[in-house]
Amino acid sequence: MTAASASLALPANRSALRRARDWAANPWARPRFLVLVTWVYIVWSIAPVIIAIQFSFNAGRSLTAWQGFSLTRWYFDDPENSVWNDPALQGALIQSLKLAALDMLIATPLGVLLALGLARWRGYAAEAGNLLMLFPLVTPEIVMGVSLSLVFAYLFDFIEPSTTAQVLGHVTFSLSYVVVIVRGRLFSIGRQYEEAAADLGATPWETLWLVLLPLLLPAVLSSMMIVFAISIDDFVISQWLSCGADCDTIPIRIYSATRAAPLPSINALAAIMVYFTIAALVLSYFLFRFLTRGERAAGKAGRSVVQDMGGFDM
Amino acid sequence: MRSGGEVQVVDLIKRFGPVVAVHGINLHMPGGEFFSMLGPSGCGKTTTLRMIAGFEQPSGGKILLDGEDMTGTPPHKRHVNTVFQNYALFPHLNVYDNVAFGLRRQRAARGDVHRRVGEALELVQLTGFEKRKPAQLSGGQQQRVALARALVLKPAVLLLDEPLGALDAKLRKQLQIELKALQQQVGITFIYVTHDQEEALTMSDRIAVMSNGRVEQVASPRQVYEEPSTVFVADFLGVSNLMQVTARGADSQGRCRIRLDSFELQAARGDTAVSGETKATIRPERVRLEPQSASGENRLPGMVERWVYLGNAVQLIVRLATGQAIQVLIQNTGDEIPFAQGTPVQVHLPADALRVLTDTGAPSPRANGSEAVPSR
Repeated sequence: MTAASASLALPANRSALRRARDWAANPWARPRFLVLVTWVYIVWSIAPVIIAIQFSFNAGRSLTAWQGFSLTRWYFDDPENSVWNDPALQGALIQSLKLAALDMLIATPLGVLLALGLARWRGYAAEAGNLLMLFPLVTPEIVMGVSLSLVFAYLFDFIEPSTTAQVLGHVTFSLSYVVVIVRGRLFSIGRQYEEAAADLGATPWETLWLVLLPLLLPAVLSSMMIVFAISIDDFVISQWLSCGADCDTIPIRIYSATRAAPLPSINALAAIMVYFTIAALVLSYFLFRFLTRGERAAGKAGRSVVQDMGGFDM
Repeated sequence: MRSGGEVQVVDLIKRFGPVVAVHGINLHMPGGEFFSMLGPSGCGKTTTLRMIAGFEQPSGGKILLDGEDMTGTPPHKRHVNTVFQNYALFPHLNVYDNVAFGLRRQRAARGDVHRRVGEALELVQLTGFEKRKPAQLSGGQQQRVALARALVLKPAVLLLDEPLGALDAKLRKQLQIELKALQQQVGITFIYVTHDQEEALTMSDRIAVMSNGRVEQVASPRQVYEEPSTVFVADFLGVSNLMQVTARGADSQGRCRIRLDSFELQAARGDTAVSGETKATIRPERVRLEPQSASGENRLPGMVERWVYLGNAVQLIVRLATGQAIQVLIQNTGDEIPFAQGTPVQVHLPADALRVLTDTGAPSPRANGSEAVPSR
């Protein structure tokens, strides 16, 4: 490989600037710049969260000055202000978890059925249906919040602002996320398994239950997670449909506390939110790995989470 | 085992919007036959198969199974089963559950299911693989599971959509032989779709050659290869060495007198009574090359332009004195082939092997005059 490579090799006496540019611009080299930008972004996004969680372990009452490490002061110990002992904070935690759980359990099945319907529906009405389904994704949250509260004030006035109203509001905008994720997975599965099942004598219901749903499992699990995360995180809609202190969720509580005199117990509350979300992520990942343990060919055990979950195929 | 397995396709039409994929074809497949649909991509063979299976609704026409019209029946109620191109094995079920799937839909008893799954796996030589998942099988094994899954239901007709496409050449050849043996053993009708002419020739009892949504010819492999009725069929199966000739009707011995450029030839095959501008074809293995000094009827001078060594044969590209190049195939018998590159030779086109063809209606543009009726 001498003469050929010699003719292809770059002349060695390029200027230092030229060599530096070539090194940076080589598309086959390792993507150093890209990796750098990604790390900067990750650090910038996560640093505030880490700092907030750090201050939940603050020994003193400040949110900005580190006064020593105390593991449980703001979680359990403090008799008045810790999450365990402050009824307002506890209420907010329970309300958030309640909404998230209900949202998950209602929006996911509905969203899966909606995705199946939209994927199989042909014709102009189907296009309209698709568009309608996408609306919550593109509508600004404040518009959603106001319109939902108007709906419950004038149209469905038998429903007061309450947990019920909040759940309905959450389910409304969560549906779109579920549909988009499940539909992406449906497209990548294709019609072949349904055709095979029908060919072997399965009725459409049997096909759905025995073939499609097991294959959609990764999308269902990842959309459950997404719905949980979105619901716990939601502020605007929960506030507009809130009945007052009893319906306060964590974000609402944090917001109102921040305007008054915030204590690190707020940080502890937020940190608990993060722990729950991470736990949900980890749990659903391992659940998925367990449920599909026979489907991976030998030697491919290390596929990434995103690949396995099959979500975000928007 | 159901008797029959006779499929009839009557005036079947399929349109996708403005595009007509299948132009009103008629096919009849008697029970127990290995019937292939052969053609290039887009010729409508897969669409026809899917309509027989029930995955597409015809735009017109009927499909009959053992005399019964099943055009309106949904796929899960038809007594036909399909082996798909990419097998479509359920990835979340193991081999046993995959094969048992159809039996369980029929609510068969547990012991029955167990026995029949065992028999099916034995038929495809995969006993012992019950617990494996499809992802843990090789391509050939997956294909066999797909076969077992379809055959265990004892359908009257088995539809196969290019099932060997994803396998390497050696495995494909091996499985071609196995599939044919299997069909003869089980005795049901196989309807096989492929674009590989070798596959179709090797396995089929009869072949339907299709092009652009129409059936060009339906005949046995031998007839389709040696007696192609249209230019398309001649060209699709093997090499056709098509020559534009002027025909002048049959002589006293029933052979067609044709003129290729300035050379007079006799063609004993095909539409010998035709006259006017038409095409003649000869298979490369029937052309005889002789030393330059040879003479006789149906001989014209040429020169060997190129040699291609194929292992079991040698392919020579010979430029005729008319300017046209034809392919000649000489089997490798171990003897030296005396026609090196650049040698002038005498090309003998035996009248017995020379076939007069008439064009089909569609694509090829016609020279003026030829109005011969296409033979089917």
